[in-house]
Amino acid sequence: MAADPQMVSAIKTAGGLIGAGLALGGGAVGASIGDGLAGSQTIAGVARQPEAQGRLTTIMFLTVGLCEAAYFINLVFAALFVFSLGK
Amino acid sequence: MLSASQVSSEPLVHPIIGKGLLAINVDTVRNSVIVAVLLVIIGVVVRRQMRPGKPDGLQNLLEYFVSAIRGLVRQTLGDRPIRILPIVITMFAFIFTCNLFEVIGIGSHFEVLPAPTSDINLPLAMALYVIVLVHAAAIKNRGIGGYFKHYLNRPFPFWLFPVNLFMNVVDEIAKPLTLALRLFGNLLAGGLMLSLLAALVIWKIGPAPLGALLTVPLTVVWKLFDMAIGAIQAFIFALLTILYFDTAMAPDEAH
Repeated sequence: MAADPQMVSAIKTAGGLIGAGLALGGGAVGASIGDGLAGSQTIAGVARQPEAQGRLTTIMFLTVGLCEAAYFINLVFAALFVFSLGK
Repeated sequence: MLSASQVSSEPLVHPIIGKGLLAINVDTVRNSVIVAVLLVIIGVVVRRQMRPGKPDGLQNLLEYFVSAIRGLVRQTLGDRPIRILPIVITMFAFIFTCNLFEVIGIGSHFEVLPAPTSDINLPLAMALYVIVLVHAAAIKNRGIGGYFKHYLNRPFPFWLFPVNLFMNVVDEIAKPLTLALRLFGNLLAGGLMLSLLAALVIWKIGPAPLGALLTVPLTVVWKLFDMAIGAIQAFIFALLTILYFDTAMAPDEAH
């Protein structure tokens, strides 16, 4: 039934785009929750001890970088699905 | 060197020399050589006008970076001998400068100077280099027998060794992969976002009079954010290198 090459290519492109959308959506939720947790703990730490602000900010940026890394790995796979697998 | 066949025209496509597995991405190699030459020139210039008593200007900036990273290494490794400092400083400086090339781009169809770290090959090569060195340091620290026993002994007691082996092997595979993909993903996203911002304005708002000038504030804002992301990712790569060496050179607890 799906032996028509144009149909197969259309299904592949559609599947790739849906997969990319799911990957980006789930990744964004996870990354923003992780960043929010890191930020909230930094604010709590600075509120308790204002002179530790420099060191706490450094650790916050480190954690933000690690959380966003998971999201960007998702984005790499989404770009892979859209540009390479969907043809 | 900059002809139309030597410049990439699509996000994940690079001009190549050679075929199949031995293909070399020309623009990545050329841009990383440009970054390396730039760093060497900066180093030579600073060395020539070095003043030991009162540093100022570029020398002050470089000394600040080196002392910050050395403080980080000393804080993580404690009293153990610090022999990884040149690797860490080189990685940080190289990745940071490569990420700064992202700011020169305009998101056009033909990107003349893309960031070399936005090709998967460069971060993968750097991550493999770091991981091979970490394993070599672990073998040197524990001996071959101890190195293999290390995979069977933690985190659970020895009679659970299949679980230990599985978890440690997955961990060791995940380390170079995430180290490379983190850096690559961040920079690919930066480059793609520039292209998308330019395309959004040109396609949708361009026909309006002076509408295409909207690219300037949008791309400037995104590039500022991307500079911060590039700096953070360079710092994270260097910090994770230090941490992996720390776990490899850690003295074994008695079991």
